[in-house]
Amino acid sequence: MDIISQLQEQANTIASLAFNTFGTLQRDAPPVRLSPNYPEPPAPAAAANPPSENAAAAAAEIAEQPKLMSAALVKAAKQFDALVAALPVSEGAEEDQLKRIAELQAENEAVGQELQNQLEAAEEELKQVQELFNQAADNCLNLKKPD
Amino acid sequence: MAATATYPPPPPYYRLYKDYLQNPKSAPEPPPPIEGTYVLYGATYTTDDVLPSLEDQGVRQLYPKGPHVDFKKELRALNRELQLHILELADVLVERPSQYARRVEDISLIFKNLHHLLNSLRPHQARATLIHILELQIQRRKQAIEDIKRRREEAQKLLKESLVTLDGH
Repeated sequence: MDIISQLQEQANTIASLAFNTFGTLQRDAPPVRLSPNYPEPPAPAAAANPPSENAAAAAAEIAEQPKLMSAALVKAAKQFDALVAALPVSEGAEEDQLKRIAELQAENEAVGQELQNQLEAAEEELKQVQELFNQAADNCLNLKKPD
Repeated sequence: MAATATYPPPPPYYRLYKDYLQNPKSAPEPPPPIEGTYVLYGATYTTDDVLPSLEDQGVRQLYPKGPHVDFKKELRALNRELQLHILELADVLVERPSQYARRVEDISLIFKNLHHLLNSLRPHQARATLIHILELQIQRRKQAIEDIKRRREEAQKLLKESLVTLDGH
């Protein structure tokens, strides 16, 4: 895939990582304490019923997720920078490109003309050789005495 | 669902081409290519495909305007801005969750600018592709010229040799 499409894909990847990050955090975040007057928010229901090792594992995973997701986000951003560095763009290049295109077109025209000339000369020679071959074949046929 | 109930019949122009095989000039010429804008199935299209600038789409332009934009620098700057805004959004969600809308708008603005910059690189890419194709074509043509020259010389040589052989009898 060409570099600009890769850059566009990378930008979209960064966007999707960002909204996945925020969506996951928002979905899995434990409730927050609003004011000192309200009682402590109840512990997650999972801790009450199954044994607490399940809750501990879930809590550990909930704490791990932001780190993993933010690491992925930063990696994607670095990848974007690397792709930008790989862009073959030079400053003020439009006029240079147009000039080069004009030069190449002129050269293409000249080379095409030469090719046409060579082709015509070669076809002419081919016709001559075919004519000679016909004459030689006719002579061979005439020299052969019919029985 | 289609607006009309049935397909319309084909246009009756085929009668004009009855004698085309005998006299190609007795039939009307094909219509010339369209220029400017045209209407197709009720929608207006234009033949001049150009990328509309950001102001035309009502989006604020974050990178400096000018005849030549330094794409690499601006792309990197926009990337850093994007990261900062994502971090800001995370902060806002923790402290003042009701003010997320402004931050989300800023992030989408940055993305629009990013994609617009990338799209404006496409004409440059198109010209570079054209240059590459022209160079390839010139190279192929030169190769063909060399081949033809070589074959002609070989043929001339063979003819001379055969002449010598025939004359030697």
